[in-house]
Amino acid sequence: MANKRVLVKRRKSVRNIRKITRTMQLIATARFQAALNRATATKPYAEKLGELVADLSGAGDSVEHPLMQTHDDVKRSALVTITSNRGLCGGYNANVLRTTIAHLDQQATAGVETDLHVAGRKGNAYFRFLGRSVAQQITGIGDKPRFDDVEPIANNLMDQFIRGEIASVNVAYMQFHSVGKQRPTIVQLLPLARESLGAQGGKSETRREFEFSPEPAVLLGELLPAAVRIRLFQCFTDATVSEQIGRMVAMKAATDAAGDMITSLTRKYNRARQTQITLELLDIVGGANALA
Amino acid sequence: MAKTFQCTVITPEQKVLECDAEFVAFPAHDGEMGVLTRRSPLVCKLGIGTMRVDTPQDEHLFFVDKGFAQVSDNHLTILTEQARKPDEVDANAAQGALVEARAMKITDDESYTARSNAIQRAQVQLKLAKSTR
Repeated sequence: MANKRVLVKRRKSVRNIRKITRTMQLIATARFQAALNRATATKPYAEKLGELVADLSGAGDSVEHPLMQTHDDVKRSALVTITSNRGLCGGYNANVLRTTIAHLDQQATAGVETDLHVAGRKGNAYFRFLGRSVAQQITGIGDKPRFDDVEPIANNLMDQFIRGEIASVNVAYMQFHSVGKQRPTIVQLLPLARESLGAQGGKSETRREFEFSPEPAVLLGELLPAAVRIRLFQCFTDATVSEQIGRMVAMKAATDAAGDMITSLTRKYNRARQTQITLELLDIVGGANALA
Repeated sequence: MAKTFQCTVITPEQKVLECDAEFVAFPAHDGEMGVLTRRSPLVCKLGIGTMRVDTPQDEHLFFVDKGFAQVSDNHLTILTEQARKPDEVDANAAQGALVEARAMKITDDESYTARSNAIQRAQVQLKLAKSTR
């Protein structure tokens, strides 16, 4: 019976696929750990920077900086979308891109043109498919985003913002909350919101008298760009963590599904085999009866 | 007993160093600055140069490229976007960068600072790379 052989073949190929997806799941798990470590390693810098800003704004001068200004009259903004270079990570890219499109539509209805800066091959392919022009394709940022790679992007955006060419800079990426929860989010990078810097000065009782060199205002002017750079960098590290989780979950589901399929195929195969045996037996018995 | 204070060097990518130090010298924006234990609170901008951390056991050297230093509660924190150990400094690349920097043209104040920064960056790295060889 041909059916039996077909079933064996299919079961074999499903088994091979399960092997592959399981391996990919393991790799994603390992990469996720590494990515998570890298993402947590960026925290001390960001926290300390926030602390410094708090120290400085406690120094009396009101915080004012070109990066904090709003340009309401400028009808142009920028959006950095962070997607992955590789697929097989479930709804990761689709979710980020859906949020991006929703944001673009919203901006368009408000009469604001949006420059797209797309990181990752998947996002670029998507916008090429849509036929939408992309201001900047950010490639070459892999599983391990390096600060040196992200810095020029941030500097370029800040320059454009200060020159008044764009009114705001947003970042669309998959925010990492926990292993079980990642959300596609849009965060505002520029204009810098005061609260986002952690400059609440919550520990005012312990306010120390600092010696500043150079003046607080000048220092702040240097600190804020650094804060923007680290925030963009954190978006990238966060996104890689979420990507690995997405891949981990997708591959786990694929492995499980393959397992289920193997069970059902085995069952079908056994049934087919049994049917064949029964048929053969019937044949023999029938033949023997005819002779008798 | 040696008087020490906490010293931390942080870059966006990682904590490079966290230790007790007896003395730290770092390049401030207007010249080198030294910190001993119980220094009064300070927030300071960094320049380009080599920073040295003397611990009771040994000394650490780093190439630092801009950033900030903060002293508070007997704790020195160096925040910098680049902190390289001498063995991470590539002498050949620095040599190349130096040649490139010298070839930069000066047209206004901005390009002048850019050029002198680039030259300084390359020279400091070269010196650091040579000193450890």
